Amino acid sequence: MSLLQLEHVSKCYGRVSERVALRDVSLRMEPGEMVVVWGMRRSGRSTLLRIASGVETPDAGVVRFEGRDLYARHGERLGDGIGYCRRTFASSEGQLVLDHLIIGLLARGLALPQAAGRARAALERVGIGYCAALRPAQLDCAEAVRAAIARALTFAPKLLLIDEPTIGVDLLARDGILTLLRSLAQEGIAILASTGESPSLSGGRALMLSEGELHGGRPRELATVVPLRRSA
Amino acid sequence: MQSAVHWALLGLVIERPSYGYELAQRFEHAYAGMLQLSGVSYVYTALDTLQYRSMIEEIPGTRTGRQPKPRYRATSEGVRSYQERLIAQMHEDLRRSRLFARQLAAFAQEPEMALDVIERYGQACLEEAGETPVLASADGGASPASGLASRLVSEERRLALEARLPWIDYARREFKALAAGRMQP
Repeated sequence: MSLLQLEHVSKCYGRVSERVALRDVSLRMEPGEMVVVWGMRRSGRSTLLRIASGVETPDAGVVRFEGRDLYARHGERLGDGIGYCRRTFASSEGQLVLDHLIIGLLARGLALPQAAGRARAALERVGIGYCAALRPAQLDCAEAVRAAIARALTFAPKLLLIDEPTIGVDLLARDGILTLLRSLAQEGIAILASTGESPSLSGGRALMLSEGELHGGRPRELATVVPLRRSA
Repeated sequence: MQSAVHWALLGLVIERPSYGYELAQRFEHAYAGMLQLSGVSYVYTALDTLQYRSMIEEIPGTRTGRQPKPRYRATSEGVRSYQERLIAQMHEDLRRSRLFARQLAAFAQEPEMALDVIERYGQACLEEAGETPVLASADGGASPASGLASRLVSEERRLALEARLPWIDYARREFKALAAGRMQP
């Protein structure tokens, strides 16, 4: 049984001019595996992550997390095993970075001291413990990504989904984020990331989305060559 | 001089003067997965050639002792030739990319065959992506030179992939459109 399994998933948007976001996509992920999906804009890469996270329903196909149909969970919370990294920090959710990590835990019934402890530990884990008392607007791009990862980690996910983890991040800071993701995978967390930049990630599996189709699995055999009929 | 191994050895001598056996060891480490030596003795043959062409010279006073280990350093002629070689190689790389694109167009009337080739090409690029090491700015090797080399190679691989994948996407769309056109009555 795979941790995450997408079987023949399809998704379209719009009623008048229908746009295919995903077309018959199948994907399996195991614990501790790191998969990076490369795609151009509007290739369907963000849709893939949203569907894998359970926040968006596919039009067709099945998504299973730990063997259970993700869309038959009847209102179970996203944080139970799946962490989706949002890079936005709404001011309504708190003033300081630490507040943004705590609020979700409080909503799940944790007492403040436990929530604060877990939030601080997550910030330390991603290397920005010093940012706890800063406002999100004071973070640079790489710190904001790390804070988003920390927020997802507070729920101890088995699968971490992250859209464009290195976009806008300085070249030299980018490797630090990739190294962080790799270390999380080594701890057993499966990482599914999307990118429009290079999908280079040592030890990871890179896939490509093109017009909603997923490429990069085992290539099919070359088709039998039929005699060419060309006029001289 | 056509041999890529000769040029690679010259580069290592430019990086740091060395003797034959040491060069063989440095070569194995620096060019693992890129170039292969047929044997340690090949290094001595290459050093003779480089010396004959005045690209390297023996450092005076290093051929001493019971087991002499003459060390070699690059001459200005060698450094200039190496620079010119790198520039020529860059042009060659660009030419080969154009050549591949042009050759793929031979399947304009058999787009499904082109799509098979594109699928394999994409697969190779994605596999390369999975093998590209992620190096923090201070990582990459025991010495500053090898650390810099590792980071440059890693970044080159990454950025080259970043350019190739959109091209693959584009080529796939072109041939898919051709294939769709063929299927229409």
